[in-house]
Amino acid sequence: MVTRAAGSVEFPARFTLVAAANPCPCGFDGDQRKHCRCRHDRVELYQQKLSGPLLDRIDLRLRVPRLTKQELLGSEQGERSGVVRDRVQEARERQLHRYESIGVACNAHLSGPLVRRHARLTPEAEELLASAVEALALTGRGFDRALKVARTVADLAASQHVGVEHLAEALSYREGFGEESFARAG
Amino acid sequence: MRRALPEPVEEAFAPTGWPEGFGEGPEERGAVAVLASLRGITPRNLHRLCWREESASAALAAIRAGRAGSDADRAHALVTDADSIVGASSAAGARFLTPHDDEYPSSVLELDDPPVALFVRGARVDVSERRVAIVGARRCSSLGGEIARDLGRRLGSAGVCVVSGAAYGIDANSHRGALDAGGRTIAVLGSGIDIGYPRSSADLISRIAEAGSVVSEYAPGVPAEPHRFPARNRIVVALASALVVVEGAALSGSRISVDHALDLGRDVFAVPGSVTSPLAEVPLALIRDGATMIRGADDLLHDLGVTVPAEGERPDPPIELPDNERRAWSALAEPLLPDAVARTALLSLPDAVAALIRLELRGLVRSAGGRYERTLLGVQARGDHPPADRRAPGSA
Repeated sequence: MVTRAAGSVEFPARFTLVAAANPCPCGFDGDQRKHCRCRHDRVELYQQKLSGPLLDRIDLRLRVPRLTKQELLGSEQGERSGVVRDRVQEARERQLHRYESIGVACNAHLSGPLVRRHARLTPEAEELLASAVEALALTGRGFDRALKVARTVADLAASQHVGVEHLAEALSYREGFGEESFARAG
Repeated sequence: MRRALPEPVEEAFAPTGWPEGFGEGPEERGAVAVLASLRGITPRNLHRLCWREESASAALAAIRAGRAGSDADRAHALVTDADSIVGASSAAGARFLTPHDDEYPSSVLELDDPPVALFVRGARVDVSERRVAIVGARRCSSLGGEIARDLGRRLGSAGVCVVSGAAYGIDANSHRGALDAGGRTIAVLGSGIDIGYPRSSADLISRIAEAGSVVSEYAPGVPAEPHRFPARNRIVVALASALVVVEGAALSGSRISVDHALDLGRDVFAVPGSVTSPLAEVPLALIRDGATMIRGADDLLHDLGVTVPAEGERPDPPIELPDNERRAWSALAEPLLPDAVARTALLSLPDAVAALIRLELRGLVRSAGGRYERTLLGVQARGDHPPADRRAPGSA
């Protein structure tokens, strides 16, 4: 939606945003081998370029560290993308089927109240979610989005319910960027 | 231990301390206040000038007459009157101390370049109190920050005052630890006593002014400038009987503090780190040069000969963890990516991630830069490393 003096025009679009960023101006913040030479206030400024509300809308945030030699050489071969594609298609079909009656195609398109109704958390996962709201200081939006991701992780695992391991994985994706320098401030 | 080369002294040496009667009486106090507000002259040169002229009033007259100091200092000295400085100091809630005042800490007089005056907010700097300085990197690791906070906390509860520089990182964590324990702490500023710098520490500095003391050699209004921070370190070290370095990269301010400690004959302690960690460079070099290696607060208190008050302070018995979490914990002997934890712990990736998140929610591990690592709390709570004083019962 673009709003100007003359009026508002809506440009409907469904998109997947994929973005990459450095952790700090020199790129070495948190690196185990090379010391970051940025002043701490510069790191904060740099990370604040991505505002909290914007980051809150990015569902999967990952820190990608420099790999050690062992990690590079020792890691097993990944799955073939054909296998992954099949799994994703199955998960999409599960979602289509589940939301048939409400005219929604997938988890991402659910509104907040619908997410909470359809998530189907196990009691153990409910408990973890309650403690995570506190510990990770989730916003209302962050809460809903974490639930959608958890529901999707469960769908990929062909699970009826969102178990604690699905929720935990979803929560781990909300941690990748922007907290560390605050943790260091103590 | 290897010593830093002394800087060349071209002028006549100055004795330690200050001339007889320096800063005594209203006229001398006024002159000291104006001298403390000069921005151009170094403390060393000012100290020499005061010995040459034999009093603060005569040194100020020499500057006003253009016989010493820069033109800017002369101009400043001509228009500045003592009342405005002392007034601004009181307005900032600070006491103005000359070397003649009882509260001016005598250990600071051991410096070759002692501050001509000190401005102090908060509690009196007690002569008999035991003090330990903690310094280290501003950009410390999360673990380094935790270690500093734990040292501050344990020193605080053992009745030892924690001295540091109120900077971000190790400094701030040391002060916070002491405050957590309701202990004493002193922050030495690299700016005027009325300026809370760095701004990220402004709240911390006001809390220290309430619960401990804030000290500066700079008159109110002097801005924070890069060269004032190394100078500030000499006072941090001089106030304490021992110096602890937690983390520091090569060529950092921590090294400067160590040089001051060696000049003053203070004990130097260092917390080691991994040989591959850039932040361990200074501590490891210090240990190699003869500083005492400490693994944490227990070692430090033991070496300082400080008796830890209550045995009830011991951490709780090791937490019993569910199987998956225990296996993930055991895998984290070093920081690992989640998939490496899964491989080492023989867990599926989802199970490993779930275990790591639960450990994180318990505060036992944290995610740092994409890898998971144990927290200090985790290491203590799990009792994987027996504290030093269990190794030698009753020797503290």
